[in-house]
Amino acid sequence: MPLHVLAIAGSPRRHGNSETLLDRVIASIREEGVEVEKVALTEVTVNPCRGCNACEKLNKCVQRDDLDWLGPKLLDADCVILAAPIYCMGICAQAKALIDRAQVFRSRKYVLKLPVVPPERKGKRLGVFLSTAGQTWDYVFDAAVPSVKCFYHVMEIRNADISYLMVNGVDLAGEIEAHPAAKADAAALGKDLVKTMRERFGDGN
Amino acid sequence: MAIKVLGISGSPHRHGNTETLLDAFLAGAEGSGGEVEKVVLRDLHYSACRGCNACHKTGACVVKDDLTTLFEKIFATDVLALASPIYSMGITADLKGLIDRAQFLWAQKFVLKSLYFSTEHIKQHKGVFISTAGQSWDHVFDTAYPMVTAFFNGTGFEYYDNIIANNMDEYGGIRGHPTALTEAEEKGEEVVREVASLLSTGTSERR
Repeated sequence: MPLHVLAIAGSPRRHGNSETLLDRVIASIREEGVEVEKVALTEVTVNPCRGCNACEKLNKCVQRDDLDWLGPKLLDADCVILAAPIYCMGICAQAKALIDRAQVFRSRKYVLKLPVVPPERKGKRLGVFLSTAGQTWDYVFDAAVPSVKCFYHVMEIRNADISYLMVNGVDLAGEIEAHPAAKADAAALGKDLVKTMRERFGDGN
Repeated sequence: MAIKVLGISGSPHRHGNTETLLDAFLAGAEGSGGEVEKVVLRDLHYSACRGCNACHKTGACVVKDDLTTLFEKIFATDVLALASPIYSMGITADLKGLIDRAQFLWAQKFVLKSLYFSTEHIKQHKGVFISTAGQSWDHVFDTAYPMVTAFFNGTGFEYYDNIIANNMDEYGGIRGHPTALTEAEEKGEEVVREVASLLSTGTSERR
């Protein structure tokens, strides 16, 4: 299978700042000939976790929604990108719902002690967190990062393999376009990701 | 007039550790003469903030659902307890959904400048955060505080205290915890006495 990337736009607002940043990274990856599938969370249904803990026994979620097909894609991609804005000092509720639903992977990994990804892919896949915030405070992303790490850990993506591009001080729609560095940083990140994926997986696997 | 206490449970798991801790807090508050009410977000129908920013122009949210009336209750209460377990190192999506919807108040305060809470108002309105976590890490609650702070700031409550208990997996649940439920009850009694004192004599009783 050729190298493939799953990109999730977690914002409830279509084509806003965080999704625009995501689109820049996607374009940069596609220029290298790598396939990217983009999913806008607001166009699909991923309900919040119900905290029922049934996945600790069933090894699957009791809820039937779009995580049914999105879940396997999260585990299959060579690189997963999550883009989400900061609302009220944290990741937006829609993206947090997706992160919490990864509980099914946590149960598989830590409770049932079953492989979440094939053993040869464990610790090799890449994760990315893209974010934007209206606030200019440099600590505005701090509360989002630990949840993002959880999201990736349970799907066997290591801390060292998570890249971050977080841009503060962009509030109004389209403001990211005028940011002095964001576009170039996004393009460079895309190239870096492809380089690392090729080192690890060749041109596919 | 009785001190009004509103407890909002952001746990999707009914009668679990967090809701039980909230219940202890509310029982204590009732014991001090508080008029308590509990709202369980799981039972409400609402959507998260859509990020449309219409409230930046109008000061009102375009979404009308069960949170519309919940915000009215929040404005009518003296003590507000927000409860959520920690999922994936953060508050639940259910509670975050409520917090994000307070954007219209942020817009009223900072964009339209039509909302202002006096120092006295904030002092007389107390916010408490209640949480449990399976994890034993001390920093497991750290990401929750900034979001809870943002909500209390938006709604005009002084962030009074946290009632938190980690390591639930080890204790076998909140009922196995040596002190948490008692402390929650005492905190409920204390905060109602404190608000009553502030409203009647203008002075704080807090040790």
